Amino acid sequence: MSFYEHTFVAKQDLSTIEVDDLETKYNDLINSTDGKVVKIEKWGLLSFAKKINNYNRGFYIHYKFEGNSKTIGEIKKKTNLDNSIIRHLTIKYKKLDTEKEYFKKEDQVNEKKK
Amino acid sequence: MKRRNNKKNKRSANPLNKLSLFQKNDNKFFKSCPLSVKDAPIIDYKNIKLLKRYLSDTDKILPSRITSISQNKQRKLTKEIKKAKILALI
Repeated sequence: MSFYEHTFVAKQDLSTIEVDDLETKYNDLINSTDGKVVKIEKWGLLSFAKKINNYNRGFYIHYKFEGNSKTIGEIKKKTNLDNSIIRHLTIKYKKLDTEKEYFKKEDQVNEKKK
Repeated sequence: MKRRNNKKNKRSANPLNKLSLFQKNDNKFFKSCPLSVKDAPIIDYKNIKLLKRYLSDTDKILPSRITSISQNKQRKLTKEIKKAKILALI
């Protein structure tokens, strides 16, 4: 078992319910195939640096999880068939940093300080 | 007396004022690597603010000869930048 980070970009014209469905779908998929989700981060709607397939923005969802090659293979299979996902990226880590969040909105940070 | 002392201090503080050819220059010509200092920022593909500092106007990776990053860190930087480019963050 090793640690992974997985991010994918969903299409911009999805409704909030559909985005939530996607999040739970991949969460269940990881948990059902020998994996264990440590943390989920929603980066929200971000604008791309350049156009991808005529889209200017996308929803970013970020997973930190523990798993093996089976989980990774299963995720890849599903994402390649998924029409609502534009890009995805998985990276292996020896240790996971679960504390730092780079894509936190400023309102949330301020609330925590108060 | 106080005034004189102040003047002396100013001159000695800035080594660039020395213009002698035969005296050795004390000031450094080469910056040390900004990413291998203590408490240096983490090189990560999510840390866009840091990565953007090392890109040119046309989104090319700047050479270490300009940014004075050590060879080890430069290798890590390029990898992280390429990851961020896949996700269209940069």
